[in-house]
Amino acid sequence: MANDREVLREIWDGKLPICFQLDQEEIMDIQQPDPFYVMVPRLSYFPLVIDKMKRHFLRFISQENADNEMWLDYNGQPLKWHYPIGFLYDLFCGNDPQLPWNLTVHFTKFPEHILLHCSNKDIVEAHFMSTVKEADVLKHRGQVMSTMQKKDHNQLWLGLQNDKFDQFWAINRRLMESHGDNEGFKHIPIRIYSDDGICRQRLISPRNSDGSRKIIQQLISELYPDKPDVKLRTHGILLPADTPLQWLSEHMSYPDNFLHICLC
Amino acid sequence: MSSFGISPEEFVYAARDFVDLSDKYRDSWTLHQNDNEILQTYIRKEEFISHRDENDKVFLYRAEYVIFFNLSYGVPSFSFNVWDCSGKLLTLEEVRQISLIKTTKENFYSVVSQQEHPVLYKPYFIVHPCRTATILQEFKSKSRNIILTFLGLIIPLVQLNLPLEFAR
Repeated sequence: MANDREVLREIWDGKLPICFQLDQEEIMDIQQPDPFYVMVPRLSYFPLVIDKMKRHFLRFISQENADNEMWLDYNGQPLKWHYPIGFLYDLFCGNDPQLPWNLTVHFTKFPEHILLHCSNKDIVEAHFMSTVKEADVLKHRGQVMSTMQKKDHNQLWLGLQNDKFDQFWAINRRLMESHGDNEGFKHIPIRIYSDDGICRQRLISPRNSDGSRKIIQQLISELYPDKPDVKLRTHGILLPADTPLQWLSEHMSYPDNFLHICLC
Repeated sequence: MSSFGISPEEFVYAARDFVDLSDKYRDSWTLHQNDNEILQTYIRKEEFISHRDENDKVFLYRAEYVIFFNLSYGVPSFSFNVWDCSGKLLTLEEVRQISLIKTTKENFYSVVSQQEHPVLYKPYFIVHPCRTATILQEFKSKSRNIILTFLGLIIPLVQLNLPLEFAR
């Protein structure tokens, strides 16, 4: 069970200051637009927090592009909206923090070979829910999600979308319970990304073969036997080597119920 | 929900067998493997498909199909992309309109969505795996090849040309 409420709250309240600037080539007005500054929750997704920013820049671009799908880049690298914002920051700036985070806004040349299309927030919701489902398959063979009602699924999504901690956790706590005799999940929903943003599929158990709790150090020797010195970062924190995976999964997973971790 | 699941090894075995069958019946599926990583195994086929709209106008598209192993669900997964003749990627709605099954947006979107491919790391349309396990469970004992059985369930969703002898 996710019992360390203070940790949950601290993770939930994590925010990042972002400075959005319109791509110079797309400015069609004599006047330069001001950059747009905003604090965004680390746990959220870009399509959920950029409505105001979009309105701010719309009047500076060519009107024929106004209905195009907007997208963002950091240092020339397109940002994948389907990852949580805090994870994207850790991936690109984890080793070299930059605040506010300077991002460029585009309305043309959508890189469709890299980014998923996101025409509206329903797409984000569908993506979020299917990730939560996958996590539940790993943890409990999908039994918790399939016994929940539609309104519970909605409450999870609305809790995240509206930044309501209590609303979200009232449902999410059921997804963080362990079933069966041995405490712990069947597998830990975890994605570890190398610095090129690539994550390989892995099945990770919360226990060692002798039944003891698996900790970060043991995970590292399991996955990277020839690289004992690698570190893992999530929510801006380098994870202590003695952190148990089960605790980590219950407390430091993103709302999609996966741990998104950068290798560094 | 699902007690069904195959191992990565079972998937690779079925993939090899499937590609042999494909060669035998002059279909064009190819096997792709990475020596260091069994989970990177997939089979792939490319073909041209045509679609006739209500006004009898015929459109030509290039389609790519990739079947890979979904580790979380322990099942084969079907992914695809379709391009028009100018090289533009079709949207999900455009794919729905040329799909063989006439279905509502809601139904179609609940089964297929664009995702980052777990093996190829690029955007693909992926058929959701959650019902695959339940259905394959029923067929597993009778199946000649689990990928073939799986494909039989998917074919109506996209326009896929598969020689009929294949299925025997």
